[in-house]
Amino acid sequence: MNIIVNGDKISIEKNINLENFLKLNNINNKNIVIEVNKIIITKSMWKEKKIKEGDVIEIITAVGGG
Amino acid sequence: MSLILNNKLYNSRLIIGSGKYKNFNETKNALKSSGAEMITVAIKRTNLGQDTNQENLLNFIDSKKYKILPNTAGCFTADDAIRVSLLGKELLGDNLVKLEVLADKDTLLPNEEETLVAAKELVKLGFSIMVYTTDNVALAKELEEIGCIAVMPLASPIGTGKGIMNSKNLKKIIYNANVPIIVDAGIGTASDATIAMELGCDGVLLNSAIAMSDNPILMAEAMKYAVISGRKAYEAKRMEISDIAIPSSNKKNSIS
Repeated sequence: MNIIVNGDKISIEKNINLENFLKLNNINNKNIVIEVNKIIITKSMWKEKKIKEGDVIEIITAVGGG
Repeated sequence: MSLILNNKLYNSRLIIGSGKYKNFNETKNALKSSGAEMITVAIKRTNLGQDTNQENLLNFIDSKKYKILPNTAGCFTADDAIRVSLLGKELLGDNLVKLEVLADKDTLLPNEEETLVAAKELVKLGFSIMVYTTDNVALAKELEEIGCIAVMPLASPIGTGKGIMNSKNLKKIIYNANVPIIVDAGIGTASDATIAMELGCDGVLLNSAIAMSDNPILMAEAMKYAVISGRKAYEAKRMEISDIAIPSSNKKNSIS
C-alpha cells in the first residue's frame, strides 16, 4: 500500500505499526515526534498505531535554527 | 541583573540560535563560549533513508544545563505555526515556544496578522510564547496584552546583519512594555548587541552574527561581553550629551 512520509510517496506492506515502520526504514527512534494525518502519536502509542493506506506521516526532529 | 522568562531565572541576557554552524560541535562550543543559557532550535522533518547513527543536534545540547527553545521557523500561517508549536512541545516536553510567522520568503519579515492569530490560539492552548515581531509599537503592546511572556521585535531583517535600524521604535516598545523585550534578528556584530542593550532591551537573540563570522567561538565570546556591557551601561545611565565641549580637568590652577 502507498503512504506519504515527509512529503515522499512510498510503498509499504500492510499491517505494519509505527514502531516496526521505523525499524524497517532504519529511522532512529530517538529525538523524533511522529504525526499521522496531522495528529501527533505519542511514543507510547507507536506499537499500537497501525499504518493505513494513504496515511500522511511526518517524522519531525530539532534542527539548527535561530 | 538577571532575566526572568517563564518563571525561570537566566543570568545571561543573550539567547543564541543553533543554525548555520559548520557542525554540531561548533554549535556546542559557540554556545559554551557565548555564556547563553537558552538556545533556539527549529522543528523540521528528519532526513530519511540515512544512517541510524547519524548525529542529532539534541545530542550536543545538554538540556539540563541549557533551555532549548523550539521555534516555528518556516511557518507562514497561524495554523502551521500552531502545528509546529505542538510538535515542539511533544519533542521537548515544555510549553515554551518562540512563535515566528513570516510574511514571505524574500523579506522574512513577520506576518503581523497571522502572528496575532497564532499567539491568541497558543495562549489558549497553554503555551508560554516568546513572539518574534516587527517594530510595530501598537502590535508589540497587543501581543503583551494577549499573554505573550516576551516580545521580540527585529532590529533589521533576519540574516542581514544590518544592526539596529529602528532604535526609536524599539525605545517606544521598551517604554510601553511590562514583559521582557528581546531584540531578535538583524544583529551583525558585538556593537549592535551593545546598542540594543543600551536602549533598554532585556535581552538579545542572535544566530548569524556568530555562526557566519569567521571565528564563531570568538564572536560568541564577543557577544557575551557586548550584552553584559550594554546592560551595565543602561543600568549606569549614560552622561548627558552636550553641544558644548566641557574640560575634564578643573579650570582652576591652570598655568595660563
